[in-house]
Amino acid sequence: MSVLILAIVIILAIMSLAQKNTVPAVLSFVLMMFLLGIYYILMDEKLLGLFQIFVYTGGIVVLTLFGVTIIGAKFPKFEIRPWAVSIVTIVIIGFLIVPFLLPSMPLGGKPIPLKDQVKIFTDFYAEIAVFMGVVAASVLYGSIRMLHTLKYGKE
Amino acid sequence: MVGFYIDAIAAIILFGVGLYGVTSKSDFLKIFFSLEMLLNAVILLLASAAYHFGLTRGLAIAYVVIVIATLEAAAGVLIFILANRMTGEVIPDHLDKAVNDE
Repeated sequence: MSVLILAIVIILAIMSLAQKNTVPAVLSFVLMMFLLGIYYILMDEKLLGLFQIFVYTGGIVVLTLFGVTIIGAKFPKFEIRPWAVSIVTIVIIGFLIVPFLLPSMPLGGKPIPLKDQVKIFTDFYAEIAVFMGVVAASVLYGSIRMLHTLKYGKE
Repeated sequence: MVGFYIDAIAAIILFGVGLYGVTSKSDFLKIFFSLEMLLNAVILLLASAAYHFGLTRGLAIAYVVIVIATLEAAAGVLIFILANRMTGEVIPDHLDKAVNDE
């Protein structure tokens, strides 16, 4: 069941980016968020699931539809950027390798006591620091690039 | 444990789809959707860790991420409408034209 829901979520995510028209893309996005909320509820995280459904399908998407309806915009043509595919491939492979490098968690189905949870997070501190560094560098590069474009125009 | 790996792989794929959208799409709406996908991949991973490992502290971070996503959505739609008024399009790359014209 969980595999089915997650597979539909990923398909809907791809569909929402691949759709040419605005409204079907937004509707795919709504359904994806709603299914994720249902999945959280099935995982006994009821509050998180309800938050997900209320905030995303009830708030964000209605706001987006409102904006789209006001301006009546259509999506521009798709631009092929091959470096984007390579970046995504590297990131996905990197994330998939990380679980094999991590030490096995002290588990067995039992919940970890709250006082030990800090230790688990601090064990991964280096990885989190590297990840945050990459994110910060990307944001910095994007900001500088945007400022440059706004000041001097596109090259 | 297997359930967590299924969730983790789904979250990584969702993150990859979002990252691809952020880096390759050229209109505001799809970039906005892609950013939401990135945030949702993180929330999915945190919720899965809370369910399978009892890491309930992650849920607090998940709620914070949802609040940030809401703020980001409000700001994003504002920029989206403003850019459309300035340029008549929804393409961020064309914002510099509007700035230069003014």
